[in-house]
Amino acid sequence: MLNTLLKKLIQTSSGRTRFVMAIIGLSVALLLILSAVQIQVDYDDLLHSKTNQDSIANFLVLNKILNNKTYGTATFKEEDLSKLKQQHFIDDIGILTASRFKASVQSNSDRFPFYTDISFESVPTAFIDVNSKDWKWKEGDDFIPMIAPNMFLDIYNFQFSLSQNLPQLTQDIVKMIVFKVNINTDKGPVSFKGRIVGFSDRISSLLVPQEFNDWANTNFGNTQNTKPSRVVIRTKDPGNPTLVQYLKDNGLTTDADKTRFSKYRQIVTAIVNVSWITGAVMLLFALLVFTLFIQLTIASCKEEIQLLITLGASPKQLQRFLMKQFFPSNIIIIIISLIAITGLQFEVHQLLQEQNIFVSTFTSYYTCITALVILLVLWFVNYRTISKYIAVQDK
Amino acid sequence: MQIELKQIVPIPLKDKFSQRNSDLWNQTVLFQHGEWVKIKAPSGTGKTTFIHTLYKLRHDYSGQVFYDDQEIKNITGDTLAEIRQHKISIVFQDLRLFPNLTARENIELKRVLQAPFYEAIMIDEMADKLGVTGILNQRAGLCSYGEQQRIAIIRSLIQPFEWLLLDEPFSHLDHENISKAASLIAEECSKRQAGFILTDLDEDEHFNYSRKLQL
Repeated sequence: MLNTLLKKLIQTSSGRTRFVMAIIGLSVALLLILSAVQIQVDYDDLLHSKTNQDSIANFLVLNKILNNKTYGTATFKEEDLSKLKQQHFIDDIGILTASRFKASVQSNSDRFPFYTDISFESVPTAFIDVNSKDWKWKEGDDFIPMIAPNMFLDIYNFQFSLSQNLPQLTQDIVKMIVFKVNINTDKGPVSFKGRIVGFSDRISSLLVPQEFNDWANTNFGNTQNTKPSRVVIRTKDPGNPTLVQYLKDNGLTTDADKTRFSKYRQIVTAIVNVSWITGAVMLLFALLVFTLFIQLTIASCKEEIQLLITLGASPKQLQRFLMKQFFPSNIIIIIISLIAITGLQFEVHQLLQEQNIFVSTFTSYYTCITALVILLVLWFVNYRTISKYIAVQDK
Repeated sequence: MQIELKQIVPIPLKDKFSQRNSDLWNQTVLFQHGEWVKIKAPSGTGKTTFIHTLYKLRHDYSGQVFYDDQEIKNITGDTLAEIRQHKISIVFQDLRLFPNLTARENIELKRVLQAPFYEAIMIDEMADKLGVTGILNQRAGLCSYGEQQRIAIIRSLIQPFEWLLLDEPFSHLDHENISKAASLIAEECSKRQAGFILTDLDEDEHFNYSRKLQL
């Protein structure tokens, strides 16, 4: 009953247009801020999650530039490696170990005959972007899992098979073929069974498990050139100018394609930042308009409020009433914004799934926490403004 | 609750009042709980100033006013509201109704501002006693002064109180209505064992006053 009477006395409809403007501004600001948070979270998700087959985390394979000057010495020495490890833009470093023995693969089947000399490389598992339960080897095992670069299959499917009149092969078919791996030793060839267990875009060589490569190198390999000639590094930003400059200064080179990929990263970062800043600025203005609206409402009912206080209405009662008038709209805006973000996230999830990029179906809890924090800020601003202007009338 | 005055003199009227003999200005006065006090004073001697000082609407005075042991300059905000809701009620000389609310809404507002002392039906009963039933649903701004004054009286009586401040409460009423209003006020004060402080221009016998003072 008291609220009905107060509603009659304190008309909140005096600045309807301003109110609508404040509400719209607040909604847009919230959408921008929340989507900035969500994009950032999705993005971090893509960078660090293990579920993404084609992770866009940045792995660069480095080697020394091979030219007339460096001929024969294009390997990494201990000091080169420790120097690399010390660089702040390098998160992790893995050594690509090349096989130092002669090997070949050949088909087991007469219907599909092939034979080729081959060499392997191996790298610590943390640097590999293929998840396969078969990716393991221990001494005594007859089966060697291998990871092939996507590029190999592309060359076969779109060039070689056409010229040789051979059938094209999908990834799944290739993964089913078991072939024979021969290692030439002083005592004659040693044979293993081999199979491709996955395809990778990250490292452009035929990979075998580190354990196998080490074992085979120790037992069958020559002892020259044991120094690594290629390393793989993980970095947050391959477009980082310091990194690019470091590589140049130390005569190192990498695949330029990855650095081009980093351009997209920078664009994403720029979008997130612009969204943040615009959202924050808009929030600030929306808050200002909202504050002014509250101030205007109280000022336009100044006499009524003063008389109410004279008659014994407590400032607390009036604050509570005014909060009830203004604050629910803020809660509604936050809820609507969150629903909109959830909808968008779902759409993005669907869209990216088609491209084998996996982001969460739902809004991240960071986004929800941000919404909650903004709600608290709104509550605080509402409360402070109302308290302040009621106190002015109480004087 | 008792109300105590210690040497209060309104600052704007200091020179004027320090010359005169007054029972209240510049004196120490104690109003005991339940006293019915009449303050008589000609125009321009500060009746409204006095009432407003007691009700803590004015701060421009020297001296001190106490509600029990508490100096009212130290009572603010929600505590002051609490006192106005439960202990001190008032009829202003200028009535101070909300012109856009109906007469009933004006009274109802004061009834529900705190936990109600009376049921809503009491508004009709009091209005009936003062002959304003017909205008209860009319906007207060459209009522005559006489009607507004009676609404203001009912408004002051609908809440709980220990003291009732009445600033020339009958100025717009005829004799018949004055005696009706006075008997209602007396009845309500007796019921609560409450005191009142009434200011007026002339002598009167509307109440069985416990004290009569000259401002």
